[in-house]
Amino acid sequence: MELVRATSIDQLDGGIPVHGGTEVVPLLRDGIMHGDTLVDVRGIVPRGIDGGRIGAGTTLAELAADPGVPAALREACRLAASPQLRSMSSVGGNLLQSTRCWYWRQRYPCRLHGGDRCHARDGEHREHAIFANGFCASAHPSDVAAALLALGARLRTSRRELPLGGLYRLPDERDRGTTTLAPGELILELELPKVDASVYLKAMDRRRWAFPQVGVAAARTVGETRIALAGVAPVPWLLDGAEALDLATPLPRTAWKVDVARALVRRAVESVS
Amino acid sequence: MPELVLTVNGGRRSLDAPAGMSLAQVLREQLGLTGTKVACNEGHCGACTVQVDGVPILSCITLAHMVEGEVTTIEGLREHPLVAAFVRADAVQCGFCTPGQIVSAAALVAARPEPTVEEIRQNMAGNICRCGTYPRIEEAILQWRG
Amino acid sequence: MARLIRTEKEVEGRFEEVWLVVEEDPLEQWPEGPLDVVGRPAERLDGPARVRGEARFTADLRLPGMLHAAILRSPHAHARVRRIDLARALAAPGVRGALGPGEAKGLDEEAGYAGAPVAAVAADTFAQARAALHAIDVDWEELEVVLDPQEAVAREQFTSEPARHERGDFDRALAEADVVVESTYRTAVVLHNSMETHQAVCEWVGDTLDVHISTQYIWGVRAEVAEAFGMPADKVRVVCEFMGGGFGSKNSAGEYTFVAAELARRTGRPVRCALTRREENTAAGNRNATIQKLVAGARSDGTIVALGGEFVNAVGWGGWSTMTDGPMRMLYACDNVRTVCYGAKINAPPMKPFRAPGFVEGTFGLECLIDELAARLELDPLELRRRNHADSNNGTPYSSKNLAACHELAQKHWDRRREVRARSDGTWKRGVGLASQIWFGGGGPPSYAWTRVGSDARITVVTAMQDLGTGTGTAMAQIAAEELGVSLDRVEVVLGDSARGPYATLSAGSSTLPSVGPAVRAAAADVKRQIIEIAAQRYDLEERVLDIRDGTIVSADGNLSVPLEELLGVLGNAQILGKGARGPNPTGMSVNTFGMQVAEVAVDVETGEVRVERVAAVHDVGRVVNPLGARSQVEGGIIQGIGHTLSEVRLLDPGTGRVLTTTLDSYRMPTIADVPEIVCEFVDKPDAHLTSLGSKGLGEPPIVPTAAAIANAIRDATGADVHELPISREEMLRALREAEQRAREGAKEKVGAR
Repeated sequence: MELVRATSIDQLDGGIPVHGGTEVVPLLRDGIMHGDTLVDVRGIVPRGIDGGRIGAGTTLAELAADPGVPAALREACRLAASPQLRSMSSVGGNLLQSTRCWYWRQRYPCRLHGGDRCHARDGEHREHAIFANGFCASAHPSDVAAALLALGARLRTSRRELPLGGLYRLPDERDRGTTTLAPGELILELELPKVDASVYLKAMDRRRWAFPQVGVAAARTVGETRIALAGVAPVPWLLDGAEALDLATPLPRTAWKVDVARALVRRAVESVS
Repeated sequence: MPELVLTVNGGRRSLDAPAGMSLAQVLREQLGLTGTKVACNEGHCGACTVQVDGVPILSCITLAHMVEGEVTTIEGLREHPLVAAFVRADAVQCGFCTPGQIVSAAALVAARPEPTVEEIRQNMAGNICRCGTYPRIEEAILQWRG
Repeated sequence: MARLIRTEKEVEGRFEEVWLVVEEDPLEQWPEGPLDVVGRPAERLDGPARVRGEARFTADLRLPGMLHAAILRSPHAHARVRRIDLARALAAPGVRGALGPGEAKGLDEEAGYAGAPVAAVAADTFAQARAALHAIDVDWEELEVVLDPQEAVAREQFTSEPARHERGDFDRALAEADVVVESTYRTAVVLHNSMETHQAVCEWVGDTLDVHISTQYIWGVRAEVAEAFGMPADKVRVVCEFMGGGFGSKNSAGEYTFVAAELARRTGRPVRCALTRREENTAAGNRNATIQKLVAGARSDGTIVALGGEFVNAVGWGGWSTMTDGPMRMLYACDNVRTVCYGAKINAPPMKPFRAPGFVEGTFGLECLIDELAARLELDPLELRRRNHADSNNGTPYSSKNLAACHELAQKHWDRRREVRARSDGTWKRGVGLASQIWFGGGGPPSYAWTRVGSDARITVVTAMQDLGTGTGTAMAQIAAEELGVSLDRVEVVLGDSARGPYATLSAGSSTLPSVGPAVRAAAADVKRQIIEIAAQRYDLEERVLDIRDGTIVSADGNLSVPLEELLGVLGNAQILGKGARGPNPTGMSVNTFGMQVAEVAVDVETGEVRVERVAAVHDVGRVVNPLGARSQVEGGIIQGIGHTLSEVRLLDPGTGRVLTTTLDSYRMPTIADVPEIVCEFVDKPDAHLTSLGSKGLGEPPIVPTAAAIANAIRDATGADVHELPISREEMLRALREAEQRAREGAKEKVGAR
């Protein structure tokens, strides 16, 4: 294996981009990611916070500590992962993290791995999705993505600009991926519009250092409140109002997540209004 | 093998390490600094915590070649007042996680010499102790200056 | 004098009749209360080495030329190896040796669970060994799989004969009871997760085998390895100076030891075999799941007249069926009891003892049931427990029992109930619950210690025990210092090496201190006697008027006061050697530990979040040697208990039987942020019948009542009966819904009655 320190985007050239390495290194070891070339992209991804512009190389710890960052994002960062991981991981990398689904992590031949069934649906799925779980019941674990989705963040990549929601796609028969990022495309910057109020609430089964069972972000701009959820669907989930929880399609052992989401959504909406 | 230059506990070390090698491996196997423990080897438990430029990171999932900055391990913190504070408070049972706890705690008290309980809990939550010395750790950090 | 006795020996709640050679321990017990060193807080002697990262664990050992072994594990929950071909693996880069089924103890043709060890490879690096596993070609014959413990029971697929206990006339008593409560409780599989994984480094030196191992039982490993290799036990040297936690999972040698030893034999090189965290969480043991169908009957005055329980222990493919009915049989005075424990043999990873095995699970069920009974009787739960206090263990007297004193000490914590409930606000409901604890912990013979005093007047205690990190080594030093009349800094304890010390018991079953402690005291007394003999001759005084206090030889009349080092200066190169042995346990007595914990919780009734806010623990373990270390044991046990209660669960894939929660992001142990305020109190009365020390063990008792106390606090806060561990949000919300439903139906009934 070779490690290249990129000074320009061209050097990506089919290599695996690595920034904090908190996701890439374990996935390489597990054989879930493959490649002979790692490309250290720290030299080409901007880092730092400038008003509403956030370099994708900014760490979660830096975001959590900056009082200028909207409350929902700050709180999502503060409650994400462990202190060490927050110091290591970039916000761009965080958006691209994979599910914690134990079947996927253990390389069961599941749909996300190109297989023909979702092992979680007939197996242990108490931490899995309550929305869009027909094809794959994995839950997206990023607190940060939910916060950014509610905040209406836009991304600038090495090729395009897009709303954060556009980064994600639900996996289907033809394409098992959960992002729209092209090979060799890098997230460079985030842009946050101004919001009047925002909040992030997180249910986990220990007080710190756990992925969200349900994470709820809410952000209010003028009269409009946007709500986004973590841990409830294969991708970060924009919720079209609290009533949209009635449309959840929980699995036998994830019905409880709907109850939790209901309570947290109500609290989040109350908190920002 | 590619050459690797690291500054560890104030000393410059030059060695050969493959690109995929973790910092923990380099420290333990090549430099003999076995105070840094590896308990899960996948970034989940904090036993392998070291500082890079004063910031606690997980050496088991850090590629040694990506380290930019000065590495401080438990061997570089042996004279830190926290060590005595941990012994005084009995903040050690089996001791396998303890060096990592010291490394995290040292960074905390450097940034916040008088941390609150809430700050201790927020900043030490990435260091798992199966023996359950947490209340003692909290006490040790609250009274780290003796 | 050595004496041969026939006695009952207990380890982790398992009893057997054995012949034992014991030596009498003629020393009188020390008076109650803190002494000069014993009973006073002592920093642990090996604390600095552990905190500074200087302690050498098995994981840190690197021998010249050392190879690394990796183990091939079955992907199937039940299968047999038809054919296996190691040739490709042997040809892989760096590989120096490989073993197939039957070539080392623990590697078997039949795999009874996914993760069962079948083959192994040793290579220059661990990565090479791991890679070579993929080159082992196995032709598997898949066999029938049973994962459901109740199906195993129905098929009578047991690990051992069902264990039945019956006393009195259960059926009649239950029929005549004024109030009967019935409930079914379930507990999940939880994992030990010692921070240092199971591992051994083996090296042959001539015809001697050195085994460096992270173990709770040096002498057990020595015997197992010697037997496996057909060699004299003294040719096996087992070393474990520092170990990174065990909690019951490291009581025996394990396949990793035999694999390392055999590969070392074949390659002529030292071999390390260390489990990865994922292997640790698959195949290194667990606290097995249980299903407990319980019933209790009482008279309206609160007298418990009948207790019954059907316990299913989902043991796994190996291991043993624990005494899950122990608390039901022992905790209360009840004449009519009927229990049965089924050990279900299923195609799941084998259990291993885990900190009070069986009693943690059984106490959860029983103590929840007792609170449901209290609610039906409209009796205060603490009062109900007082009224049913067992004065004897079904007729056998206790060597000491201060549970009533625990109740008294717990009262003030229990009395906080009204104030705690009043702090409920919004969706957060608060409440208080309690639970009692009974467990073993008396230890027993044999265990030995040697002592050595030289002209520097320092004492070295040598005993081949192991200190898991509990601080028992420091307690031994305190005992020796106390007996000898010197300060703690004059004592050295040498442990952890079978070639450098006499036999000491396994560190399990809360037995290290009560077993080895008295031997250390006797060995210290032996050198003290000799020092006094020397002093008597040197100063021409009678031995009976001499004593050692504070490092000084003194006479009763106060005329003589000579520092020990001055007296012992005469020794030159001579040494005073002492030895001591653990005497027998009291005959015809039941030796147990007792306690009570009071938990305060807050429950968010909308989200099912449970926060434990305070746990007060009161324990009766005889004399407390080191209050500082004892508090750590209590806190550690409670915190592990909180993990078992709220967040820890091992999950198996129902399709393949493979463990899903092998990593520490999915198997969630408590962090520092999960810890409540913990208050720790001891009755601290020496057990007058148990050894010259009067101490029992404390490693296990604190984890026993925690789950039940929390569950009972949840009931107090919300009215919801939780029936399952862990109390996940799913379970909490289910119990809340059920309670709401009950309340609605109750209201309807009341309306109907009008």
